[in-house]
Amino acid sequence: MKAPFSAYLSGIKPGLRELIGLLRRDYDYVSVLATDSRGLAVRISQHARSVASETMTTERGIVVRVYKNGQYSEYALNEFDPARVEETAEQILKALREQQEILAATGTKIYDTAMLRDEPQTLFVEKETEQLPETTDVKSLVEKLGALSDAGMGMSEYMIESIANAQSTHICKMFLTENRDLCQSYVYSEGAAVAVVMRDGRNQIGYQSVSGLCGPELFEQLQDKMSKAVDTAVELLDAGRIEPGEYDIIASPEVTGLIAHEAFGHGVEMDMFVKNRALGKEYVDKRVGSDLVTMHEGALCAENVTSYAFDDEGTLAGDVIEIDRGILKTGICDALAALRLGVEPTGNGKRENFEHKVYTRMTNTVFDSGTDTLEDMIASIKHGYLLEGMESGMEDPKHWGIQCIIKMGREIVDGKLTGKVVAPIIMTGYVPDLLGNISMLSPDREIFGSGGCGKGHKEWVKVTDGGPYLKTKARLG
Amino acid sequence: MLDTIVKLLKESGVHAWELTDVKAEGWEFYFIRHELDQNRAKNVEHIMVKVYQLVEDGKFMGSASAELPPTATEDEARRLIADLAYRATLVKNRPYTLNPLTEAHRETLHSAPVNVKKIARDFIEVMQQLPETETEDINSYEIFVNAKKRRFLNSEGIDVEEIYPSSMIEVVVNARKDGHEIELYRNYDSGSCDADGLKRDLARTIRYGKDRLRAQPTPALGQADVIFTGSDAINIYDYFVSRLYTDMIFRRMSDWEIGKPIAEELNGDKVTVTLLRELENSSENHAFDREGAPIRDTVLLREGVPAALCGSRMFSSYMGLKGTFVPTNILAEGGTHTEEELRAGKYLEAVEFSDFQVDEMTGDIFGEIRLGYWHDGEKTVPVSGGSISGSMFDFVKDMQMSRESVQYDNYRIPALTLLKNVTVTGVGE
Repeated sequence: MKAPFSAYLSGIKPGLRELIGLLRRDYDYVSVLATDSRGLAVRISQHARSVASETMTTERGIVVRVYKNGQYSEYALNEFDPARVEETAEQILKALREQQEILAATGTKIYDTAMLRDEPQTLFVEKETEQLPETTDVKSLVEKLGALSDAGMGMSEYMIESIANAQSTHICKMFLTENRDLCQSYVYSEGAAVAVVMRDGRNQIGYQSVSGLCGPELFEQLQDKMSKAVDTAVELLDAGRIEPGEYDIIASPEVTGLIAHEAFGHGVEMDMFVKNRALGKEYVDKRVGSDLVTMHEGALCAENVTSYAFDDEGTLAGDVIEIDRGILKTGICDALAALRLGVEPTGNGKRENFEHKVYTRMTNTVFDSGTDTLEDMIASIKHGYLLEGMESGMEDPKHWGIQCIIKMGREIVDGKLTGKVVAPIIMTGYVPDLLGNISMLSPDREIFGSGGCGKGHKEWVKVTDGGPYLKTKARLG
Repeated sequence: MLDTIVKLLKESGVHAWELTDVKAEGWEFYFIRHELDQNRAKNVEHIMVKVYQLVEDGKFMGSASAELPPTATEDEARRLIADLAYRATLVKNRPYTLNPLTEAHRETLHSAPVNVKKIARDFIEVMQQLPETETEDINSYEIFVNAKKRRFLNSEGIDVEEIYPSSMIEVVVNARKDGHEIELYRNYDSGSCDADGLKRDLARTIRYGKDRLRAQPTPALGQADVIFTGSDAINIYDYFVSRLYTDMIFRRMSDWEIGKPIAEELNGDKVTVTLLRELENSSENHAFDREGAPIRDTVLLREGVPAALCGSRMFSSYMGLKGTFVPTNILAEGGTHTEEELRAGKYLEAVEFSDFQVDEMTGDIFGEIRLGYWHDGEKTVPVSGGSISGSMFDFVKDMQMSRESVQYDNYRIPALTLLKNVTVTGVGE
């Protein structure tokens, strides 16, 4: 079935068109992004169970963007009444007028920016899904997740908690200007199996996730995940500490994704180029990785949790080759940063929700595959680690430093896995070194879409990342 | 609208309910250098409804929640409540009671109007007065000012409302030398604009920027004493608070108990943490928590021994505790040492991390060093790169703190915190 577009948004469209018309009397450009995204979140643990209708991306509201004399301003609200459009227009004008008074009183200069183009365009997209979060059988889902949680408890004598999470969101967004009318509706889902173990007063967690551009039907895939989560947690109970140093490493697809995201995901967000906050600006058409490194970014380059048809500024989704055989080719760009840099936007202008500003943000960030087998990679290493499971990462686009917190490492000695596990691992390094040392890539590729991504320490959005197994060198601690 | 929702909830026959209404008027200003990138305003209302149902003759209690759009009609609200009432019956938790109405709910802590215009202007003006030079300056900053009105009601009769300011400024500082430029990132949460504190901290940040330009690779120290002098130390004190949450203890993710020391040997300064209802200019000054529990000054950890627990109503109720709440402001009291005493001998002073983390369950700490100072007993060298790691399970035994304290929004913590024998993975000799 097709995910139906929001009746609410269709209902307020004439009122929003009227609002655009009224605001155009005072501004040279006016756009409206209206959102109505509904969701379902079920969380089942042994001690606490809940059903909610909120996920990270559920929202209903509108944000108006206006432009005049080189200046962009926005107003966000969630009480739009189509019968009182003039009142709303006056409310917006009054607030922005008052802000202008403060800017004048403080002698603030404007970062003079050109006006966005407003070429005619219409689009109506309803993507396929089997189920919708609004209408799925919640009773059945609660029972399945409950059974999964119960099963997890029986998988190890050390289990103290077993959690099954499932979230599904039906995204509906509408972007309007005088000449543009874009509507999209799609469903994405994500789930996780989490195992918590305890032995001798020490705890460990194992975690496995699923995600996809689909409805709650995705959660069937969780059935196989709990046993692996339990195995990971139990293995971690016996993990040793790593001797700090530089090692040959093999990144599992999840860790490969983390490297892609932190190394050259944030580093080529081009709103950072405008602020001169990213070293990548100076490296376009220069080598940043080995010949084996090709990296894609875009809502179109994978089907997962952030595979939209257009971004939050009405730019159609894209698929950008950021790194082509080791050479940095381009970054990703929102519409205003594109105007300021004199380039075309890439469909990466995203908001946390309608209340937040647009920034250049990642969608799907993935390394291309290679031809080497995992077995050959392991066999090629004298002393190193196979890294599995990601915890978190932090970018440093200005200096190309990278910090990745990784769940565990499996020791490799003389081309063989020894069975010894070390954890946790902090991987740090200089991005061009890390990518420059990539010497092997596997043919398979996985993409992960659970969790979120912040910009600095805020502005959380959905992203995915991934790639194949890859071999490189890194500093581990 | 709220009166209608309350009426519908009462008519619905659900076992219990909670209703939270947050209205926010926000002003935002984004700057590149000192030029306006964009200005934004918002006026929003978020209404959260949660209903509880008894299941299997009261053997279990379930809950379901949803946000009700402020534009919802009475019919839409009725349908949503009916849907929640059904969904709540699908969930089987042990029963508990919601927070009861008490005398404390009759007090009103914050009800004065918040002037977002003045606060926003204060932020803009303070950013125009910083001691920038040709080699150290402000790259960009983002100002967020909110006036929030929060009302909480439940089926036990609680109906409380408070108005409060909530602000944040994010600042990126640049320093450059010989064609090399670095940046330092800061974000400051507060109630309103603390102009003096902001100027003081940004001046220090600019100094750090200069030092990072001449930083050497962090030496491979193996194990070293590390002193934390910045806001990252909040994570260390959060560890103590997190392990005293009722849900952590009930689910055996923390083995701390009231009256039992947190480690067998506590040879250093013993940590004392107090939860405060009010802390000057905190963005988290609330009279009641998100479930309507009154917030009161409470000693959580006294000299390394848990004195009370905190957390949500559900797990507190399961543990038979009354009067618990979700913490807002946290005071970690100073230790027994002067700054001079702590700075004696060899140590790494860590002032900037990529992302310093403390795992409250495993006790693991991590952080990539963006700027530190290696004090070798004679001279001090700025260092960068590499990481620190280790376990709080070990560090709590002999950690030391300064008597002096410093405030970061809703945390007041010792100005210096020393952890012994931290693993330092260097990048230099």
